Amino acid sequence: MTMSESGGTYIDNFPAEARVVRSALYSSFLALALGGLFGIIQTLHRTDIYRFIESDMYYTVLTAHGVFLVVTFTIFFLVGVFTWAVTTSLDRGVEDIRFTWLWYGLMTIGTVMAAAAILAGFTDSIDMSADVLFTFYAPLQAHWLFYLGLVVFVVGTWLAGADWFRSWWAWKQENPDERIPLPTFMVLTTMLMWYIATIGIAVSILVFLLPWSLGIIDSVNPTLTRTLFWFWGHPVVYFWLLPAYMMWYVMLPKISGGKLFSDPLARVVFILFLLLSTPVGIHHQYLDPGIAEGFKFIAMTNTMFLLLPSLLTAFTVVASMEHGARQRGGTGYFGWLKALPWRDPVFAGMALAGLMFAAGGFSGMINAGMNINYLVHNTLWVPGHFHLTVGTASALTFMAATYWLLPQLTGKALWNRSVALVQVVLWFLGMTFMSNSMHRAGLLGIPRRTAEPQYQGFEFEAGVGSVAELDFQLALGGALLAISIVLFLANVVGTAFNGRSDDLPANEFAETLSGPEDSPQVLDNLKLWTAIAVVLVILAYSFPLMSIVDRGGLYGPDISPFPVSIETLSLLAFTLEQYTTAAIATTGEFVQTTLTGVIR
Amino acid sequence: MRVSKEALLIILAFIAPIIVELRTVLAWANIELTVLESVVLGLAIVALVLVWAFFPEDESSSETPERQLSNGD
Amino acid sequence: MKIHTYEKLWLGAAMVLIVALIATITYGAVGLGISMVDDEEETIDPDALDEDDRFNDPRVEHVGENEYEAYVVARTFMYQPDPIEVPANSEVTFYVTSTDVIHSFSVVGTNINTMVIPGEVSSMTAEFDEPGEYGVVCNEYCGSGHHTMEGQLHVVPEDEFDMTELEVEGDDEVAEDDEVTLNVSVENGMLDDLETTIEAEIGEETFEEDVTVEGDSTYETTITVDAADLGEGDHDWSVTVDDYEDSGTVTVVDDLEDDGGDDDE
Ligand code: HEM
Ligand SMILES: [Cu+2]
Ligand SMILES: [Cu+2]
Repeated sequence: MTMSESGGTYIDNFPAEARVVRSALYSSFLALALGGLFGIIQTLHRTDIYRFIESDMYYTVLTAHGVFLVVTFTIFFLVGVFTWAVTTSLDRGVEDIRFTWLWYGLMTIGTVMAAAAILAGFTDSIDMSADVLFTFYAPLQAHWLFYLGLVVFVVGTWLAGADWFRSWWAWKQENPDERIPLPTFMVLTTMLMWYIATIGIAVSILVFLLPWSLGIIDSVNPTLTRTLFWFWGHPVVYFWLLPAYMMWYVMLPKISGGKLFSDPLARVVFILFLLLSTPVGIHHQYLDPGIAEGFKFIAMTNTMFLLLPSLLTAFTVVASMEHGARQRGGTGYFGWLKALPWRDPVFAGMALAGLMFAAGGFSGMINAGMNINYLVHNTLWVPGHFHLTVGTASALTFMAATYWLLPQLTGKALWNRSVALVQVVLWFLGMTFMSNSMHRAGLLGIPRRTAEPQYQGFEFEAGVGSVAELDFQLALGGALLAISIVLFLANVVGTAFNGRSDDLPANEFAETLSGPEDSPQVLDNLKLWTAIAVVLVILAYSFPLMSIVDRGGLYGPDISPFPVSIETLSLLAFTLEQYTTAAIATTGEFVQTTLTGVIR
Repeated sequence: MRVSKEALLIILAFIAPIIVELRTVLAWANIELTVLESVVLGLAIVALVLVWAFFPEDESSSETPERQLSNGD
Repeated sequence: MKIHTYEKLWLGAAMVLIVALIATITYGAVGLGISMVDDEEETIDPDALDEDDRFNDPRVEHVGENEYEAYVVARTFMYQPDPIEVPANSEVTFYVTSTDVIHSFSVVGTNINTMVIPGEVSSMTAEFDEPGEYGVVCNEYCGSGHHTMEGQLHVVPEDEFDMTELEVEGDDEVAEDDEVTLNVSVENGMLDDLETTIEAEIGEETFEEDVTVEGDSTYETTITVDAADLGEGDHDWSVTVDDYEDSGTVTVVDDLEDDGGDDDE
């Protein structure tokens, strides 16, 4: 496996890149700090334990919480860690550091624009607001600065991807016969997925919402912009998760004291994500009128197949940990668990994150079930679910990885490892309380995104316990999480103020038990996979989008420049049924053949 | 100490979800606990674990129930 | 490519799980016929709901034996009608639309839960076997008052349920040489005939009329009494049909030019 031969820390080998990565991470942590602050305000407000803002301002807070955490925090971390991964695994710096700063700058400017629009909602003296939550469903309208900020931010991420592709192309010139190193492979496939996915919001914002907020067009089709949002909105969850997966694959085995179980399988997993992440977005719209049940069904089947790469990841990660534990002298059926380096916050954090992700996976399967979804859709169950996925699997893995990355990026030892361990455990504990109570409150029908879920005309009835207890649990969990964030930030700041240290480990990632030479060359054929991914997206989305435009008009019911008659459409719909069934069959078969191909 | 401080921390963390939902699980078995009772029960479990962890039974036992606990989750 | 046996087993198990999940859901949709909100309904102009005969008057309608349809309008930040009243032992189809932004119509504790998108009509059918009271919440953020958006769904015992509407128009002021008239209309929204009695009282005078109001129709009648019989002054009147009552006061005056005193209905 290619690895830095020099054996130094990252900052020794790539001082210029280390600065960019550090900046990206610090931006990310600033967003985490703000998001966490808003999180605890929300928690106390909606449980009616402590309210100090007006309830209509709750939605400004919630918008900020959502946008800062799932756009700014996660994606800034991603670009940082991906830059680390590409440069480390190709063992070469970026091609032009000015270009790297350019995309970092664009992302920052975009964030500042969107943040300004959101935070202006706190004061009446500025005539600007964006209380539209991170989903910005029209006809709710934000100030144009919000939409423009998002565009600039996304363009920044596109350029970041271009930067990494550029590194890879340059590397390929010099190493024509080598396989793509695994971390770079993961970065590239993730970015390909991102390019496809962002078409959704790019169109939604540039063609509809931005002109609409500027008054250039009068109306939009709410179902259309909503569908375009989820075209991006589901794959974006993998954009949050895949950097965490990458750390589980390339870092966790090493920290556990062993090697990655299988490089080929890791590649298969990322290819599956590239293929299946996007043609599933309609599963967020099971309850939407105006979308045929058939389309929902297709999204559901694709979603279920999307479980596969996550299940494979679970296997590989656990198997790699076991391998590590046995290298460290662990024995027994379960006894090996004890030999794992639990006192290492990097390991403990990632392992706890993985465990919580398993729980999140279960509630996700419930969400994905078209019918059961009716019971939980838009209840507090849903935030309960995604605080386990993005809020823990991603966030906690990022924090744990930081404990390893930060010394690499600064050349300074971590300020305090014990605090770090307490921090990750506290996150686990806090999330247990918060997510558990959210799931249960959701089953009682308590809605999400609601400042005061206490109603005049009726009360929610708890089977066991009471709503008050669930509220208390939610607040307790939220408080522990907030403390955990404070400890994390203290460690980041403490480390920044540390002196340089000489005895840091070298910048390396996990070796593999079964390397890329064991896998078919076709896995590295990115063009092929991209083409298939695009075809799947076209199959899954072209007919729903056409039907939505036909029903509601391209720019809303008033202006309908899409003169497709109903008859043609139902004919199309019929053809579609045929196509999609075929598509499902092919996907299934395809998955099967790839897998058997891989297995052989 | 039977386990390291860090391991104890992790064990306690793994017990937390069990304690949190013990009451619901017991309710399925028609055992209804009040909040106070379940808090007391939870504390008792934690106390038991602490006693187990701190009372030295020599250095001999490394095959301790720690595993079952971390897997019971 | 080397693949561990356990890995193959896991892979197999994962595929089985996935296929089983899909099969269960397909069975739920096809076998059990659990239907979803879909594109069955025609689109609607959200700015012209008052021109639509379903939504210009949000209401519950009786459409067949034990079958009802509820036309519900969601708007910032309320539902119409509120409460929605249906009888127990009935099958109710809800048609919900929005006049402004996206809302939801979510009956707490049930799987009646749908997005309500302007321009679209969500329809879903539910069976109510037992009487009960349910809360309705909006669980899709719809603006600053989102948390105040709630309604109620009352499932009343079958024998207490009717769709009778009583309306009475009476004169405010009548000259002594004229007649006092009450125009009574009894609307029966149910499809079955309504056998009932109209009872009226004007001053000391009482009237009673047994009527049969045919299904989905309105019965109209006029009750008259000579003002002279009542005499000069204020006279209270009331009309009752089953549990419904309408009442008012009529003033009999000597001469219409006179100041009529208070003229509430
Ligand atoms: C101190 C830690 C945190 C607390 C106390 C907290 C609390 C909450 C609460 C109570 C809600 C539900 C609000 C509602 O629906 O009315 C919420 C929503 C949300 N949280 Fe967190 N959270 C925390 C951390 C995080 C993290 C780390 C992430 C992701 C990386 C995250 C992502 C979200 C998202 C995306 C929403 C949904 C926003 C929306 O509905 O528009 N949260 N949070
Ligand atoms: Cu999704
Ligand atoms: Cu609402």
